[in-house]
Amino acid sequence: MDHFPANWGRPRNDAIDLYATHLLHPRPNNRAKDAFADSVQRTQQPIVTGTSVLAIKFKDGIMMAADNLASYGSLARFKDVQRLQAFGDYTVIGASGDMSDFQFIQRLLDDIAVAEIAAQDGHDLGPVEIHEYMSQVMYGRRSKLDPLWNSLIIGGFKDGKRFLSYVDLLGTTYTASTIATGYGGYIAQPLLRKAVEGYEDVLTAEQARKILEDSMRVLFYRDARSLNKYQLATITAAGVQISDSLHLETSWDFAEGIRGYGAQTQ
Amino acid sequence: MSALEYNGGSVIAMVGKDCVAIASDLRLGTQALGISSNFQRVFPMTDRLYVGLPGLGTDVTTLYERFRYRVNMYTIKEEREINPETFAHMVSSTLYQHRFGPYFIEPVVAGLSKSPTGALKPFIAAMDLIGCINFAKDFVVAGTASSKLYGVAEGLWEPDLEPEDLFETISQTLLNAVDRDAFSGWGAVVHVITKDRVISRTLKARMD
Amino acid sequence: MDSIAHPTQRQFNPYSDNGGTILAIAGADFTVIAGDTRQSEGYSIQTRYAPKVFPLTDRAVLAVNGFAADGNMFVKKVKQRLEWYRHAHSKDMPLRAIARLIQTMLYARRFFPFYVYNILGGIEEDGTGAVYSFDPVGSYEREACRAAGAAQSLVQPFLDNQIYFNNQQPAPGTSHPVHLPLPTILSIVIDSFTGATERHIEVGDGLEMYVVLAKGRGVQGLEDVRGVQELSVTEEGERIFVIRRDLKKD
Repeated sequence: MDHFPANWGRPRNDAIDLYATHLLHPRPNNRAKDAFADSVQRTQQPIVTGTSVLAIKFKDGIMMAADNLASYGSLARFKDVQRLQAFGDYTVIGASGDMSDFQFIQRLLDDIAVAEIAAQDGHDLGPVEIHEYMSQVMYGRRSKLDPLWNSLIIGGFKDGKRFLSYVDLLGTTYTASTIATGYGGYIAQPLLRKAVEGYEDVLTAEQARKILEDSMRVLFYRDARSLNKYQLATITAAGVQISDSLHLETSWDFAEGIRGYGAQTQ
Repeated sequence: MSALEYNGGSVIAMVGKDCVAIASDLRLGTQALGISSNFQRVFPMTDRLYVGLPGLGTDVTTLYERFRYRVNMYTIKEEREINPETFAHMVSSTLYQHRFGPYFIEPVVAGLSKSPTGALKPFIAAMDLIGCINFAKDFVVAGTASSKLYGVAEGLWEPDLEPEDLFETISQTLLNAVDRDAFSGWGAVVHVITKDRVISRTLKARMD
Repeated sequence: MDSIAHPTQRQFNPYSDNGGTILAIAGADFTVIAGDTRQSEGYSIQTRYAPKVFPLTDRAVLAVNGFAADGNMFVKKVKQRLEWYRHAHSKDMPLRAIARLIQTMLYARRFFPFYVYNILGGIEEDGTGAVYSFDPVGSYEREACRAAGAAQSLVQPFLDNQIYFNNQQPAPGTSHPVHLPLPTILSIVIDSFTGATERHIEVGDGLEMYVVLAKGRGVQGLEDVRGVQELSVTEEGERIFVIRRDLKKD
């Protein structure tokens, strides 16, 4: 029963106002204004996604790897996407998760980079500052229940110090000597830890590259959303260097011996 | 609502030097409401073998009667006492027979087992409700206070405790664990099994 | 009647559980605040070193446990409020005032809580060791000891037994000590964490123990401790030390 006569509609006889509705203050209309008002999207889901990013410390700095694929569900949609991006002279961000959200993040960072250059104050942003900024952005968006659907790895080298950290859509952060996002966390991380933990200060760039290449290969074998085309980022005292796309050499001979993996009949 | 937690109760067993101990609280409740402060869930199966049956009260009675029957039949047919290892496997297979409609009990077995030379060796084991056995060398726990029992036991237990020290260790472990568990407590009972006797004591405990 | 079939939304869950355990014990004129350093999500270890225990002032240390992102943000905000207090009053906020501040800040988020269990330890204005424990929405009390986090249920009953002497009878003609000496408490803390590490998968990797000593108290009890590191700047006033230990990494 609606107890507000104003909502009962007009009386049948226009000449008389049986319920005296014209004297009542009309109840505020809080109903949806249009058909789309209900569907204001507060939360989302990732649409075009990038898979794992890997990163490790080595003797001279940080090395990171990510493949060039952006998937649309199970469709390998974009096969020449850069998921490692340099910001400033000291930092690389690697992104997995939603690629449009990552592009939005790139715009945010470009904006502060412009502001920073314009300031000409003799200071520039290092990986520590970019990590802090990204963690605040990501935590702020999760608190608005409108997250940026990414797991980010921030690697950098400034003032003689290596820096490697992680930020995700919940605003969770951490630093470690090996970091892997997505499936890399299950498949590559154990390999990275075995190869890197305790050897951070002795691994050469070539050894680090080999560790990452081997891990990317294992990921390509087992992660169905990965690609055999990837890039490496190296951040050292010399600055940031992001490679051209590299091709993973793979061998599928072993598949012959595994039932259900190779081309067996039956 | 979990049937394993419906009536509450906890059991623990520990190995000592040439002895074992098994202990349990005495509470039986229906969820948060306490019903009895004298509910036995630890039973002697032979002179040197005890079983603790924490879990759903009705299944405690059922399983105890079932095991008593099976042990009696075993003793008659084999004309010897059942060994703790054998008994543990009997309990396990009984539980697994009801794999898809289990008894809601996580049994604890404690006893001294006779080796072929006649020497007595401490034996303890615990099972989940479908009979997966955990043969531990130190201690086993089960029931609603199991996580608390793990924490305290991990801090108090040490190898080769003499019977009286083992009694103190298991009693302290049990009492302090059940005092932090809303579904266990209301008194406790401890049995220390040594080669020539079983020391059984009822402990005074917090009644809140 | 217009019945519109609303599309079902997959709700974004803004919380996570990052495991770990924290613990604090107050002595007569000191307090120990400890936490492991593992950060995990599900069955994955994210890092083996993520501090959960933070010095706030020269006499207050805060341990945070639960959802790490909320924990770090909460510590950041508490530190900011303490800095404002310093600027306004030219002194550090007293411990009991920090405790009330924390309750207010937690309750301010009553309907979108910080998913964090806080334990605040330090030295009270009267020079006594103190521990305050909080729930995520701000209920708090002063205690002598408290464990929180993933292994709370393992550690707390052990502490009841070893600190409060629950279920223990004093020898005839004697009574239980009200406060334990520092070395004893450090041993109990280490034992608690090795025990929790043994039986809980989310606890391990490293242990950080902060020790806050009351004003004028010597360092007795710390001399023989391996690898003590002092954090305080002055020798007068309260002093803070940190002791680090490895825990099993499996």
